[in-house]
Amino acid sequence: MRRLAWLSVALALVIAYPLLFSTPFQQRLGALVLLYAIAASAWNIVGGYAGQVSVGHVVFFGCGAYAAMGAYAHFALSPMVGIPAGILFSVVIAAVVGVPTLRLSGHYFSMATIAVAELARLIVTNTDYLGAAVGLSGPTVPRNVFDLSFISALPYYYLFLAILIITLGITWWMTNSRIGFYLRAIKDSERAARSLGAPASRTKLYAYMLSAGLTSVAGALYAMMFGFVDPESGLGILISVKMLIMAALGGAGLLFGPLVGAAILVPLEEISNSLLGGKGAGLTFVVYGAIIVLIARFQPGGILDLIKRRLEKYRKAPETIVAAGTSHAP
Amino acid sequence: MSFVIVQVIVGGLLLGAVYALFSSGLTLVWGMMNVVNFAHGDFVMLGMYVAYLVYSLLGAGPLIGAPLAMLVLATLGVVVYFSLIRDIMKGPMLAQILGTFGLALLLRYSVFWWFGANFLTLPENVVGGTLDLFGIRIQAARLLAGIVALVVTLGLHLLLTRTSLGSKMLAVAEDSTAAQLMGIRPDSMQAVAWAIAAGATGLAGALIATFFYIVPTVGETLAIVAFVTVSLGGFGSVPGALVAGLLIGVIESLSGYLIGAIYQDIVVYSLFLGFLWFRPQGLMGKS
Amino acid sequence: MKFNHVVGFLCAAAVSLALAGQACAQDKTVKIGAVFPLSGNAASAGNHAKAALEVAMDIINNAHPELGNFPLAKNAGLAGLGGAKVEVVFADNQGSPATGQNQALRLITEEKVAALTGAYQSGITLTASAIAEKYGIPFLTGESVAANLTERGFKWFFRTTPIASDFVNVYHDFLTDMKAAGAKTDNVALVHDNTEYGTSVANTLATGFKEKGQPIALDVAYPSNATDLQSQVLQLKEKKPDVVIMISYTSDAILFAKTSQAQDYKPPMIIADDSGYSDPSFIKSVGKISQGVFNRSSWSIGPAGSPTAIIAKLYKEKTGDEMDDTAGREMQGFFVLVDAIDRAGSSDPAKIQAALKATDLKPEQLMMGYKGVKFDDKGQNILASAVIIQLQDGENYVAVWPKANAEKAPIVPYKGW
Repeated sequence: MRRLAWLSVALALVIAYPLLFSTPFQQRLGALVLLYAIAASAWNIVGGYAGQVSVGHVVFFGCGAYAAMGAYAHFALSPMVGIPAGILFSVVIAAVVGVPTLRLSGHYFSMATIAVAELARLIVTNTDYLGAAVGLSGPTVPRNVFDLSFISALPYYYLFLAILIITLGITWWMTNSRIGFYLRAIKDSERAARSLGAPASRTKLYAYMLSAGLTSVAGALYAMMFGFVDPESGLGILISVKMLIMAALGGAGLLFGPLVGAAILVPLEEISNSLLGGKGAGLTFVVYGAIIVLIARFQPGGILDLIKRRLEKYRKAPETIVAAGTSHAP
Repeated sequence: MSFVIVQVIVGGLLLGAVYALFSSGLTLVWGMMNVVNFAHGDFVMLGMYVAYLVYSLLGAGPLIGAPLAMLVLATLGVVVYFSLIRDIMKGPMLAQILGTFGLALLLRYSVFWWFGANFLTLPENVVGGTLDLFGIRIQAARLLAGIVALVVTLGLHLLLTRTSLGSKMLAVAEDSTAAQLMGIRPDSMQAVAWAIAAGATGLAGALIATFFYIVPTVGETLAIVAFVTVSLGGFGSVPGALVAGLLIGVIESLSGYLIGAIYQDIVVYSLFLGFLWFRPQGLMGKS
Repeated sequence: MKFNHVVGFLCAAAVSLALAGQACAQDKTVKIGAVFPLSGNAASAGNHAKAALEVAMDIINNAHPELGNFPLAKNAGLAGLGGAKVEVVFADNQGSPATGQNQALRLITEEKVAALTGAYQSGITLTASAIAEKYGIPFLTGESVAANLTERGFKWFFRTTPIASDFVNVYHDFLTDMKAAGAKTDNVALVHDNTEYGTSVANTLATGFKEKGQPIALDVAYPSNATDLQSQVLQLKEKKPDVVIMISYTSDAILFAKTSQAQDYKPPMIIADDSGYSDPSFIKSVGKISQGVFNRSSWSIGPAGSPTAIIAKLYKEKTGDEMDDTAGREMQGFFVLVDAIDRAGSSDPAKIQAALKATDLKPEQLMMGYKGVKFDDKGQNILASAVIIQLQDGENYVAVWPKANAEKAPIVPYKGW
């Protein structure tokens, strides 16, 4: 009950944010937080819940972005029409890539996913149909509302919020289903899970495909908002890493972890760039890098994990100070 | 076989030796501690800048620059180990990626802040000249890097297999609790491993600087190659990294010449993925 | 319980933003936004552009009678706005089209800039100018060359630089003249990276040369930021083209020069397409082994005491580097933009747009070697042009073509080292 009440308050505040902070840049910042939260939450399904650290998720992001821009560039359709196509491509690619690579454990899977993403980037860079290195653009002037090309960030904000809620809803449903149960078992110990009869390979594959499809939606939304995609912005390794660090920073494997991570990192990035970037000394990234290092060093489980433990400690305070104190040690 | 093909293969081997050289440090910490160092490319970059500083301040070449780069980076390796790695190793793998990626940005842009974004190079005459062996041309600087790659690989391999320090390090890698019971301090062994790995990487950077350009973002270009080399060779296998490096160098060179340079990396990544399908533990990795 | 923390972070972020944005209530200052790659792979070019604009700001805001009749130099500030000063607000696009667009939005809505310039990479110019178009703010690029930028039907977008279709004529006419002078120019090879710049320029050149009856004999594409270029050099060495046109960024240009020396490869003639070969770092690093390379440029330092020589000196004092063509084109674009603001006599975007449309600058009013500045309906400067320069002594480029602008005669064959 208490949880539900807090959830409603938080939701109300998120809905009210762009009205409280109404300059165009603040609204856009809010929209970007939600956009990256969608991508990081999608990543969280396979990276957090299934414990399979994909460093190549940008390949699905790119599928969505290219499908959306391709629908416009080649068929003069609304970029929205590309969304289902992007999801389809992503799920197929996830299946093809996932069958061999999900057998690999830990770092091998990570490296294989990097290689897949780099391969995709290189192939697209040399494919004229996909705009090669020049990239694909969306409609320069919106023809109608279905082009989703707005001056204000407000419509994007609420669109992204709706999709984020759907993404989190799907994630929540998944964690409470049989798949979620299996995933937890696999993450703890794959061998044990297998011996107890959990279909480990199949479960991981399903999670990977689900994650891929949702990531591709984030990619399509990104391309529609910025009206452009090229190999670097749609398939660059940095985007994979961003999804990962947002989820890890907020708390991987926690429902709201990626949202918290995005809500910290996106403003940090944009504001430090706004304040320091113009000096041209690269200080933005010195600050950004230092903060990431500090969080990894002192809070490896993510921010939300820390808050959660603090809360537990606070609740249990009277009777179990000693126990909570020891569990808090990093 | 045409003469040019021989030249292409020789060039590929020299390139591959360089890949192996800057990958050996990565494979060592990866295999020993199961830590992926996303800042590895930036360690190479730092080695290059040390060589540049040595040249511009002292006017000295790699004879002084390379050992100094090794020393500086080894020190940095120990510092990084005790201030960061030791703690994030206990966390999930994600924390390692987070921490080393942040470290990469921190190093890259600290150098950027200090040196600026301009491209730098060491002058030609630092390791100058080109050998001409029956018409096959070999750049002296690349040959030197290739020879050092072989020596480093052999040295690391012997260290790990033939010395008591090496067996202690391997014991820690195998089971650090058991090693501790036998009186080995995992902490110091892992710090030594970081020092060796970072030192080898700094050495690689200083040698690459003799024939490459130097810029703060250069590590990005090199890091992905190193990741592929290490995965193909098998995590932790130093000889594996050598073989994988040489293989990638030759494949890149040949496919670049025969099919076209823009497809050379597509060939390498496709073959790499195809290979992982059949042998996920890499060429010389333990399954 | 955890959600209020989420909201807390969001709020904290928004508050700090609001604070950051409250610095825009000055009179007598015209703000212009400049979006450049100040970090990332293209940071070298971006920081040179920033320095160039700062020199331009100095020339505009302070009295520089030594520059003679050079527009905006003589008196301090803008005469048309009662001596108002110009302030450039720089923003870093980080090499990302998304960041470029975010920063353009910030400059327009938070910094209230009157106009924008930038953004070096064509893809980022594309997204950043799209936001300027939506807000009705003039966007002038001095250096992005992708053809599609001026094909979007934008009303607020202007471009002063020559583009690939202009280069075709420059190269073809130059080669025709060289042939008449006795050089062999029949087999032309294109060597280019597979970035948007390399591919688009190479494609335009290939089509253009074909139309002029001289199809390109060999097309060598390579991935940018390559670790090795030996195979490409060997390919060229084997096919022996008479002329090699190099379309490369600095990193690959340096590597190509070094690899050519190692493989003892000297084509009879190398023409570089600006970019990497104009970077002062290129000359410093490998100029000595690239003697005699031709380069496309619109920049020439000119005789001592001329406005261009003075600008070059100011730039060198500021950066320690020689002025190069890319920084020069950015600076020229900025001067054209400020000149329009001066003539508009207002910082109202619509008036600046009208003034830009009416721009008609003569060659003597420019620092770059264009035939003038005059925009067509699409916003492209129809008088943009380029000359050919040559790195004869390995240290400084000199203008060698066309004859009217030449300081020295072109030297062939390529000397190398």
